[in-house]
Amino acid sequence: MSRVNVLLSMAVSLLPLTALVFLFRESVGADVWGLMQEETWRASLGVTLYVTLVSTLCSLVLGTLAARAVYVNGQNWLLRWLKWPLFVPHIASAYLFYLLFADGFPFGLIEANERHHLVVIVTYIWKEVPFVFLMVLGTYAQLNTGYRDMAKTLQLNPWRQFSVAEWPFLVKPLLDSFWILVAFISFAYEVPALLGVTFPKLLGVLAYDRLTTGLFLNESEAYAVALIWTLFLFGGVLLTYVLTAKHRRRIEKGVRR
Amino acid sequence: MRRLVILVLILLPFSGLFTSVPTFFFDDAIINTVIQVLVIVSLNVWLSIGTAWWLLFTETKWRTFIEWFLFLPLFIPALAGTFGMYIALARFGLVGTTIGVLIVLLVVTLPYSIRLAYNAMSVIGRPMFEQALFMPPLRRYRDVLFPLLSGTIQTIALMSTVIVLGQFVLIQLIGAGLISTVTTRLYQVYAGNDVALALQHTWLLILIPAVLYIAIGWGIRLGVKIVKGRL
Repeated sequence: MSRVNVLLSMAVSLLPLTALVFLFRESVGADVWGLMQEETWRASLGVTLYVTLVSTLCSLVLGTLAARAVYVNGQNWLLRWLKWPLFVPHIASAYLFYLLFADGFPFGLIEANERHHLVVIVTYIWKEVPFVFLMVLGTYAQLNTGYRDMAKTLQLNPWRQFSVAEWPFLVKPLLDSFWILVAFISFAYEVPALLGVTFPKLLGVLAYDRLTTGLFLNESEAYAVALIWTLFLFGGVLLTYVLTAKHRRRIEKGVRR
Repeated sequence: MRRLVILVLILLPFSGLFTSVPTFFFDDAIINTVIQVLVIVSLNVWLSIGTAWWLLFTETKWRTFIEWFLFLPLFIPALAGTFGMYIALARFGLVGTTIGVLIVLLVVTLPYSIRLAYNAMSVIGRPMFEQALFMPPLRRYRDVLFPLLSGTIQTIALMSTVIVLGQFVLIQLIGAGLISTVTTRLYQVYAGNDVALALQHTWLLILIPAVLYIAIGWGIRLGVKIVKGRL
């Protein structure tokens, strides 16, 4: 029974990977060097990196703090309330934030569609903190509290206690969450299209606009950008996983004596 | 005090829902959306639990490879994947069809569901599941996996519903603009600047996952009671 499930799941997973081959075939002929020189794409890449990194890092820190608050400080009420943003699809949350910031918030300070993309970042943080919280919660549930007790007994300061008794176990879920969020935020359309500005657009918005305007005449350009960005992310994933492989294996299987 | 500030930060965005009275009407976009959600949620729950079970219990040298293979799509941006699948599906005449849209929706939701099921099973731990190893598959699902993973089934359903409801480009591109859902309508209404109508769609996008989550919770509790009565 479960073998059928695995085969079907693998067939489903094969699709996006074959999709990359199709992307490659269709982007042949695109002037990649020309794309890199084009001001619009360069500005878009800069703002995409800024929005992605700020939203991802803030979500990781806040999500971890929340999971820690539940397991270390017994703040169980968070379990109930942090679920709320999970019920809201990204597009709906973008509209809710648009309504909230439409006339400037708080006290007219920040408006929706402003050029620093602050509302885009806040929307992503609001949506992704519960996701990171869920990813890290499992690790905290399994964490051996003996390590922390030992660190306390040795009178380490709170930061050292965290770095020796919790951080090593958090590396894997945080690394997974980091790349999932980066892949998701850096090349998306829905949220930045609603809350972003006309220049510079985020990569996903620009690529989709270039693809669909002008009867698909510029399609190879959009496909090339999608492919290059995916390969760039794959490179990052591979590098960080290779660099942390030894450490993760030691945490998963223990030290061989 | 700190608790109050955090609660306000979490709940404040919902205030937008009450800025004006939403209009109410019913059309096939809502029916399309509900059908998509139900099909994708059922497939996700069934495929992810079986796959996670296999990953946890099968000893083979291919395991790490298969694990990577199944989780790799998580790192492909959904939009880039959609572009590629658009080219691929166009060759098989699946662009503009419901089947095409459903396939791509399954592709973007399944890796998350497998991950959730796999994490939940690892937290519950092998010893609890090992007791069910020699049961026939159907009884294993009904008597062991279903009661133990009830919370996870609810989370998988919620996550896949929310991902399905969040897709605008995917449905617009793969559906070739022929398949309308609540999400695609929200964009059109938003461009038309009709706040009341846009709010109705936003309410729907939040209510569909909430109602499904509560309904599945009820169903699971009832199901577990029936299973317990039989054992």
